Amino acid sequence: MRFSRRASRAGRRIAALGAIAALALTAATACGSDEAEGDGKTITFVAAEYSDKTEPYWKDLISRFEKENPGLKVNLQVINWDEIDGQVQNMVLNDKAPDLLNLNKYADFAADELLFKASDVLPKEVIDDFIPSFAENSKYEGDQYGLPFIASARLLFYNKDLFDKAGVKEPPKTWDELKEAAKKISDLPGDYIGYGLPLGPEEAQGEFQIWMNSNGGHWVDDKGNWTIDSPENLETLQFLKSMVDEGLTQPNPAKTDRADVIEAFAAGKIGMIRGLPQTHNNIADQGNKFKYDVAPNPVNDGQEPTTLGVQDYLMAFDNGTGAQETLKKFLTFFYQEENYSKFITTEGFLPTTQSASDKLSDDEKLEPFIEALPKAKFYPVTDPQWTAVDSAVKQDIGQALRGTDPKKVLEQLQKTAEG
Amino acid sequence: MTDTATSSTAPATASRGKAGGPPTGKPGAGRPAPGRGKRPGAEHPLTPLLWIGPALLLIAGVVFWPVVEMALTSVREVSRSGVIRGWAGLENYEKLFDEPDLVPVLIRTVIWVVGVVAITLLLSFGLAQLLNARFPGRRLVRWALIVPWAASVVMTAIVWRWILDFFHGMANTIMLDLGLIDAPRDWLGEPGLAWLWLMWVAVFVSLPFTTYVLLAGLQTIPGEVYEAAQVDGASRWRAYRDITLPLLKPAVLVATVINVINVFNSFPIIWAMTRGGPGHDTDTTTTFMFKLLRLDKEVGPSAAMAVLNFLMIVVMVLFYLRAVKWKEVD
Repeated sequence: MRFSRRASRAGRRIAALGAIAALALTAATACGSDEAEGDGKTITFVAAEYSDKTEPYWKDLISRFEKENPGLKVNLQVINWDEIDGQVQNMVLNDKAPDLLNLNKYADFAADELLFKASDVLPKEVIDDFIPSFAENSKYEGDQYGLPFIASARLLFYNKDLFDKAGVKEPPKTWDELKEAAKKISDLPGDYIGYGLPLGPEEAQGEFQIWMNSNGGHWVDDKGNWTIDSPENLETLQFLKSMVDEGLTQPNPAKTDRADVIEAFAAGKIGMIRGLPQTHNNIADQGNKFKYDVAPNPVNDGQEPTTLGVQDYLMAFDNGTGAQETLKKFLTFFYQEENYSKFITTEGFLPTTQSASDKLSDDEKLEPFIEALPKAKFYPVTDPQWTAVDSAVKQDIGQALRGTDPKKVLEQLQKTAEG
Repeated sequence: MTDTATSSTAPATASRGKAGGPPTGKPGAGRPAPGRGKRPGAEHPLTPLLWIGPALLLIAGVVFWPVVEMALTSVREVSRSGVIRGWAGLENYEKLFDEPDLVPVLIRTVIWVVGVVAITLLLSFGLAQLLNARFPGRRLVRWALIVPWAASVVMTAIVWRWILDFFHGMANTIMLDLGLIDAPRDWLGEPGLAWLWLMWVAVFVSLPFTTYVLLAGLQTIPGEVYEAAQVDGASRWRAYRDITLPLLKPAVLVATVINVINVFNSFPIIWAMTRGGPGHDTDTTTTFMFKLLRLDKEVGPSAAMAVLNFLMIVVMVLFYLRAVKWKEVD
C-alpha cells in the first residue's frame, strides 16, 4: 500500500532528522570543549547580557586589557539571562566551569568550594573600595567570595498625567493611599490599570519582597532563619490578592512579567509600577509622551520606607589551571574607577564601589536610588538555599492570587526554604 | 571499487538470515556470490560489520549513549551548581513523585495529547476529503496547506503569542472593535483559555502532515470501487462509511501514532506561548521536565522525569511498530 509506506517513510525521515540534530549537538558540544588551556594565561569569562551594550563594553575592555598585558588572553562569552543559569550549571557539570563568572548569585558555588576568596583575586585596596553593605552581602560562612558588581534599587514610578486626571494629588505614602489611587485610575474611562503587579516568573521574588519589606516582613529574620510564612507576609499576600480581586491591577499578575508592566507603563497605560534606574530609559525609548515621577515605596502600618537592593556579582573559579594571577590582573583592571564607572553608566545601574559612587551621585536620575540604598534590603543570597526559594517563588507565588489559599502557598515556600 | 556486487549482497543476506529464511549460520556462507567468482575475504563473517558498522556506531552514539547517561543521571545526586556528589539511589524519583504538581501535569499531558490528536484527525478528514475533490484552485489550496508545516513551529507559536498578548495583542484590538468582548482579555493568562489557544496552535501545525497522509490514503482507493457501490445503490454516506473508512484505516493509524509522539514531545509551542504558566497550569511532562532542570536546577529529579517520559515514548513507539507490522501482514 503506497500511502502507508510513504507515511512511514516520513516517519523515518523525521527519525533521521532527529538523529542528525542530535549528532550536530554532540559535535557542537565537542567543539566547545577544546578551549581549556593550562598555562594560566588565558581565562574564560562568562558574562550575563544586561543589554545589547554589554558585549561591546566587554570586548572593548578586554582588547585594552590584552594590549596592556601582552601574553594574557580573556575568552569572553556573553549569555542572556534566560539561558545563563542552565548553561553555567552544564559547564560545571561537565568540568568546564569558566574562570570568571558574572551572575546574580554565588553562594551555591561557594558552598561547593568552587570559588576563590575575594582576597585571593583582588588587591586589598580594591576590596576596601567596595561599599560595606555590598561586601557584607557577598560572604559565605564569614569569607567574602562574591565580588560586588552592580547594584540596583526599586522605587515607585507614577504617571503624573493619570494622577491628575484621576484627581490624585500626591504619590501614595501608605498601602491604603496606593489602593485609593489605583482605584481612581482604574475607574477612569479607557482601559487604564491602577497598579502594575508583575508576579510572573521573571521577577516575582523582587516585586513580592518590596511588598513584604514595606509591611515589616522579610524572607529571613536577623539570625538567618526562614520566615516566609510569617503573619506579616500572609497579610501582605492577602492585601495583594485584594488588589487583584478588586480589579486594581492588570488581570493575571501570576503571568505578567516585569518587562511587560514596564513597557505598558512606558506606553502610558498604567498608573503606578515599581521601577529601577533603567526604567527611565525604557520610558524614553517609547517617546515619553506623559509626565511621571519617582517616589519612595509606600508602606503599611507606619513602617519606614525601604527599597529592594539587588546586587549582581563577579566570581572567580578555582579550576586548578593556575589562572589566579591573570584573574587578579583582569579584575583589578576592571575595577579601576574609569573602567568600572563606564560599565555602570553604560548599563544604567548603581555602583558598588565607593569611588564610583562618589563620582556618579550627582546624576539626577540615579540620585533618588543612590539615596535609598542605605535602607536597602537584599535577597538572602548568602544562604545557598535561596536559589531554590527564588525559583519556587517565581513559579508559585502568583498561585495565591488565583484561588490557592495564600497561607498554603507561603507554607509550601517555607518548606522549600527549609529543604 | 570492483567488489560492489559482492559487498552489496552481504548485508542483504545477513538480514534475510535473521528474517528466518534458509538456515544460514554464517551470513553469506554456502551461498555463491551471484555473478562473479568467489572472493576470499568477502565471506568473512565480520564483513557485514564494515557496512553496518557506521550506522551501528551512530545509533550507539546518538541513541543509546544519551539514554544510558540519562538513566545514570537520574540516580545521581547533583548539586544546584552542577557538582556531582555521588549516587542517590531512588531519591530523585522519590523527590519527583513528591512534587505536588506532578499528577496534575500528567493528567494535563494526557488531555493535551488526546485532545490535540483527536481534533487534528477530525479536521484533517474534512480537509483531505476536500483536497481529494476536484475544484478550480485545488493546487493553490494544497500548496497553502503546506505553509504551517513549512514555517518553524517556534515562529508560529511566537506569532500567536503576540497576537494574543494582553497589552499589545491584535486579537484584543480586533475583538474589541467588533464588539465581541467589552474589555481586553488576557488570553494566555487564564489557564483554561490559554490551554485552548495552545491546543489550537498545536492542531494548526499538525494539520498539514495529517491531512497529507490521509489524502495519500484517499488517493489509493480506486474509483471502480465507488462505481460498483453506486451500481449497487449505496448512498454516499454508506459508501463513505463502508468503503472509504475501512480502506483508510492504515493511513489513520500511521497518522495517529506519529501525531501522538509529536504532540507528546511538543515543547516549543507551550514554551514560547506560556512557559507552562501561570504556575504549572499549562505544563505537560515535557515542559515540566525542562523547568525542573532550568528553573529549579534539580538535575536528578529532572532526569527522573526524563526517564519517565522516555518510558512513555517507548510504549508509544512499540504501538507504532505494531501498527506498521500490522500493515505488512495485511
